[in-house]
Amino acid sequence: MRSNNVSGATARLARTLEQEAAEDVFFGQVVMIWARWFLIVAGAVFFLWTAVRSTQLALGVVPIVALISINFYLHGRYLLERPSNPKLITAASLFDVGLISVIVLLWGSGTGATGLGSPFFVFYYPVLLAFAFVMPRRATAVFTAVTAGAYAAICFGDVTSLTSAKVLALRLATMVAMGGLGTFYWRIQRDRRRTGLVDAADEFGSAAAVERLRAFVGI
Amino acid sequence: MSQKGNVVDGGQTVIVTARWILIGVGLFLVTVVPSPDVGEVRLQVALILLLGLGNFFLHGLLLKRGAVPGPVTYIASAVDLAVVTILVASQGGDSPVYVLYFPALLALSVAFEPVVTAVYAGGTVLAYCALAAAAGLDAAIVATRVLMFIAVAFCGALYWHVERDRRRRTHATTPSTSKLEGSPR
Repeated sequence: MRSNNVSGATARLARTLEQEAAEDVFFGQVVMIWARWFLIVAGAVFFLWTAVRSTQLALGVVPIVALISINFYLHGRYLLERPSNPKLITAASLFDVGLISVIVLLWGSGTGATGLGSPFFVFYYPVLLAFAFVMPRRATAVFTAVTAGAYAAICFGDVTSLTSAKVLALRLATMVAMGGLGTFYWRIQRDRRRTGLVDAADEFGSAAAVERLRAFVGI
Repeated sequence: MSQKGNVVDGGQTVIVTARWILIGVGLFLVTVVPSPDVGEVRLQVALILLLGLGNFFLHGLLLKRGAVPGPVTYIASAVDLAVVTILVASQGGDSPVYVLYFPALLALSVAFEPVVTAVYAGGTVLAYCALAAAAGLDAAIVATRVLMFIAVAFCGALYWHVERDRRRRTHATTPSTSKLEGSPR
């Protein structure tokens, strides 16, 4: 009877770990949604402020409307407690990065500068951070590398001196730091929750079950 | 949940790590193509060395005692933001170093309560706006940067909330669940 209870408890706790991964996405995606709202506000403010011709404004509003549409959909699902799955939020984040990269590469409105001179690269920071808070480490590492790689590729042609190389390196280092620190904190929080689970398992009084659980969660 | 005052100890590790990144990037900036102005480089080197010594002390405390006293963490975070502000100011306000605000704001936003984060982020925004105004930077570009500072701090604070609520739920449900599973029926 006791043995059945302990193995049942271990199985249930193992299911709890699977549930935990789903909850990471469920609860965390609101951070991504809000990060995107900030992008939308910042982009709208900049385009409205700096446009000097009506065609510029008309073109500038296209990416904003695209982001608003995506975020309405994702935020609506979240509010209806039907949050998106990891594939969908990864695709949305990749779309964000793609859109920011296109703007950095092509959009010179207001400043006339693109590539390394574009002021829009700051939009990458909240996107990288939000992704790192929600997705597992491996996915975050790939996403951060892809983002930094895309930005480096866009700016590579503008690196004409050691000073410009230094500026690019500084930006890339801080972008990688956002992904790295975000996923570091994500891991700290996950470990703390898992330690809590093992502490709870201690209450069963079975050392074997606790050891199995410790090995399973890796602490 | 282990907390020292308003400072969550998991967040302290992030702050110390972020500061090491700040120091590493700062050293890179100083050593690669240094400014021809000796006074500027002297100030930068002095600040980075002081930051390094301070962080070594804090990292030691964290390893030895598991946590840094709350007031020390508050002061250290304010010093981080002040150092970045001084670095930006030393280059006349129009400096690419402002991007160092991003990891600094991220680290404190996951370590402190959202109210404290709001105070730090507000102070950063005011300081940067003052520097940018003095340097005569394009207001639209400054507004975009400031909105991104706020976005990073807001996202960190939001995630802090999400995680705190999850831990509270876990603490509220785990004991009853374990009792159900542990007691023979």
